Amino acid sequence: MSVIVKVKDLTKTYDDKTVVNGISFDVKKGEVFGILGPNGAGKTTTLEMIEAIRPIDSGSAHINGIDVAKQPQAVRYIIGVQPQSPAFQDKSKLKEILTMFAAAYGEKIDPKDLLQSVDLLEKADTYVENLSGGQRQRLSIAASLVHNPKVFFMDEPTTGLDPQARRNLWDLVKSIQAKGITVILTTHYLEEAEVLCDRVAIMDEGNIIALDTPKNLIKQLLARGFKKKHHVEQASLEDVFIDLTGKHLRD
Amino acid sequence: MQKSLYTVWTFARLNAKRFFRDRLAIFFTVIFPLIFLFIFGAINRGSGAVSFNVAIINQSQTTVAQEFVAQAEAGKILKVTNSVTTLDEAKEKMKRSELDAAIVLPADFGEIKNDQYPSGQLTVYYSPNNEQSAQALTSILQEQFNQMNAKYVSTDVPFTVTAQSTQQESLSRFDYTFAGLVGFAIIGLGVFGPVNVFPELKKQGILRRLHTTPLRVWQYFVANVMSQSVIGILSIAIMFVTSVIVFDLHMKGSYITFVLFTLLSIFVIYGIGLAIGGWAKNERQAAPLSNLITFPMIFLAGTFFPRFLMPEWLQKVSEYLPLTPVIDGIRLIVTEGKGFIDILPQVGLLAIWAVVIYFIAFRVFRWE
Repeated sequence: MSVIVKVKDLTKTYDDKTVVNGISFDVKKGEVFGILGPNGAGKTTTLEMIEAIRPIDSGSAHINGIDVAKQPQAVRYIIGVQPQSPAFQDKSKLKEILTMFAAAYGEKIDPKDLLQSVDLLEKADTYVENLSGGQRQRLSIAASLVHNPKVFFMDEPTTGLDPQARRNLWDLVKSIQAKGITVILTTHYLEEAEVLCDRVAIMDEGNIIALDTPKNLIKQLLARGFKKKHHVEQASLEDVFIDLTGKHLRD
Repeated sequence: MQKSLYTVWTFARLNAKRFFRDRLAIFFTVIFPLIFLFIFGAINRGSGAVSFNVAIINQSQTTVAQEFVAQAEAGKILKVTNSVTTLDEAKEKMKRSELDAAIVLPADFGEIKNDQYPSGQLTVYYSPNNEQSAQALTSILQEQFNQMNAKYVSTDVPFTVTAQSTQQESLSRFDYTFAGLVGFAIIGLGVFGPVNVFPELKKQGILRRLHTTPLRVWQYFVANVMSQSVIGILSIAIMFVTSVIVFDLHMKGSYITFVLFTLLSIFVIYGIGLAIGGWAKNERQAAPLSNLITFPMIFLAGTFFPRFLMPEWLQKVSEYLPLTPVIDGIRLIVTEGKGFIDILPQVGLLAIWAVVIYFIAFRVFRWE
């Protein structure tokens, strides 16, 4: 698989505090790449530098061979960005939001198709302020895909969603990957990373401290002699919850 | 290029649509200036003729005295307050400037004495801060007495003066009011609107999100100017129609010039709002700065009272504020019927301001 995102020695410093400390990694075309880490690890700052909305202090980022720092405008045409907490202007209808985002790329689209793909077709004429959290996330994803980007960035896409909405979003991410779009996401939920990501980078204090497939990372840990203190249950409390309440979306 | 225009057009169209769905926005842009129009229109509705608020305290029973009071009450120059019957009450009201003067007719006023014709002396009481009104009132009363005197004692009058109207239409107070209120409405939608909206959009991360798309700052600016112009023209059209129907405003100039000049005005003033709102990171930065810039401008540019009432040096300074040519231009077009050539100084000044303001707005704009 070819490399589509190439990050080299990327650094960001705020008032003598190094938030991102010279990190390097490659993202392969078509994979789902996860960046994990505790709050303040530098995940969001890393994403924002690659997305060309935050200046790069030193180092470089290339997307599809384009230098982000030198040609930010060219990069914007090939990336889609899903922010942490998507917001839209009140009194906008869903179809208008998608029309507007497509127009930002100079493109004319039929919003119906996209709304269909995120299960919001029947809400086409609803105002955005009447959406639930999960629906807003899905609209936001649709808005980031109006121009068929090559790389799709998602910053903590499932934070604040209920288990049903979270599972629905996982399916959505997989269907985006199936279209050949490379996905780079950050998350706090390790279960999510395990389900979705082909490879994950674990960040702490501005550094990448591990980078591999989830399976390999677990293998490496076990090889170091790690043993869980408790007997591992065959099901988790979340499995119970989903079993009892079902998988269908509530919003 | 065509794609770029589609971008601008779509953003402008959806901006305008959102506005017309938002009742609060409509209230502040359309209804709020109308309320001001009614308040200031009611205050300035009069023809501008001079009149005095007076109390007449008549202590005399003679027919001459009674006739004098009746005439004074019927005339237009004196507005007689009937509720006041004693000098003390009148003094109290004069203290609060509710009355300009009190006219006292003494008990012997109008009595026929040895001379075989009635005579008497009335007194005009006034407070020191109303000296000018009192003097004007005294000379008006003196003139009336001169006419009465002539009836009893005939005299030759070698020198006289008569007044002759120039027959020219002069500006009524409402004509000044209208231009000022249009200026005020443009400030409202051009500055207070964006200054509230942009920091809020930044707070919600809506602008930052747009920044991840290829949308250019100029495209965003042009789209906003377009939608705001449509809204502004509509708001001013409603003010105009109301003024014509309710306050008898006479439109003397060309409608095309009026609309084009209003569009230019909205463009320039909206630039101020874009610069402040685009620069400010949050409301705490935006509100004080916009107040600092707009409030002095509102008062100095002749929004609520004409600039010719200001001291000379202040007139010279305020002449160059961006709002001044807006108000002057609208007054020249609407009430003086001036054409495009006549308002070139105003158009020129606005054009210079447009370059300066938009240069700053582009430089200081921040997406977050």
